[in-house]
Amino acid sequence: MEENIQTNQKNTLAMPIAVVIAGVLIAGAVIYGGGKTPSNNRATAPQQQPVQAEQTGNLEQMKQISASDHIRGDLNAPVKIVEYSDTECPFCKRFHDTMQQVMSEYGKSGKVAWVYRHFPLTQLHSKAPKEAEATECASELGGQEKFWAYVDRLFAVTPSNNNLDPAELPKIAQYVGLDINKFNTCLSSGKYAKHIEDDVQNAQATGGNGTPWSIVISKSGKKYPLSGAQPYATVKQLIELALQEK
Amino acid sequence: MMLRALQKVFRKLTYAILALCASVVVFAFAVWLPNISLIVKVMGHPGISFSQKLNLPISLLSSIVTNFTPLSASYTIAVAVLFGVNLAMMVYYLRRKIDEVAQSGITTGFFGIVSGVVGMGCAACGSFLLTSILSLFGASWILSFLPLGGGEFGVLGVILLSVSIYLIAKQIQNPAVCKI
Repeated sequence: MEENIQTNQKNTLAMPIAVVIAGVLIAGAVIYGGGKTPSNNRATAPQQQPVQAEQTGNLEQMKQISASDHIRGDLNAPVKIVEYSDTECPFCKRFHDTMQQVMSEYGKSGKVAWVYRHFPLTQLHSKAPKEAEATECASELGGQEKFWAYVDRLFAVTPSNNNLDPAELPKIAQYVGLDINKFNTCLSSGKYAKHIEDDVQNAQATGGNGTPWSIVISKSGKKYPLSGAQPYATVKQLIELALQEK
Repeated sequence: MMLRALQKVFRKLTYAILALCASVVVFAFAVWLPNISLIVKVMGHPGISFSQKLNLPISLLSSIVTNFTPLSASYTIAVAVLFGVNLAMMVYYLRRKIDEVAQSGITTGFFGIVSGVVGMGCAACGSFLLTSILSLFGASWILSFLPLGGGEFGVLGVILLSVSIYLIAKQIQNPAVCKI
């Protein structure tokens, strides 16, 4: 009888303990998850700020858009979408198509500008940083037109998930009409590695913890964070919200 | 046995509605999770109409197609459905036999829920919650060694929830009599 009572007491405790453990894990993950990124290779201390306050503050750390950015559309467009992307992320590949759809509807009328920045997730896609450098080399050799042609072609041919053969990079350069020798020299120099890393740091500073990570900026300067490859309908709604702001 | 237990529980509309609501909440949570701050920002914006505030989270639900792999979408939906079923069956059983809780079934259920929740996230770039949990212990690099990048926990959640439902079904089918 006494053994049964003890067993029942243990059983009674098991459920609340399970609930408490589950609650602590989930609460801790949600609170702590605000400042964490899968691409962060540095050891960082646990952060205590509430997720919401942290992410709002981080958006203001977005590097100002300038003529040196890779911009598709009019720099003076009322709504700008800054996308931090990883060329080997399959969801960035999907979102690239979505953004092309956005530009075909809103870009021609000058309502939306698309700003492309780099956010290669090295831990998942070790080839992505070099691919990002390749796009910068395309920009150096052929300007914005060749940059976008290169990025479009890269996303079109890559199987994603770190499966693109690096030997394809000069082939893509040739496909878009760049000088292969100059491209290869540029790529092997590693001159754009720091620029890529600066973009990565900025993505993380704005609260990015995965790709694609986008920030929609209204004409009033208000910033809306958009995480992941969201459907066209969602992006369109966000653009309309941003356009109606005074 | 399982079918009879499910019939017993869900022939009452209350439990079916409870299961449905719980499943929808879990599903919405999983899909909205990457963009919680956007939703909060839009909801709190005074200049946005009510219909626009409603349309955005609804449209975000279809990211189950664009922002999930087929595997992660499958176990996300499975965890949501099984959670709802599990919850309804637990409530049914607890109401019927408040003093004789089958601890193994309910404990398994909670671990199943935890496992399923932490396994959710943008599958291509790692589980959001799992990355955060492992980062608490400085061990987020572990994800890169897992074949499914953390998705294993979503699959484990489905398994544990299924086991929990089975165990609770067994208890529901046990007659409320003293065995001689």
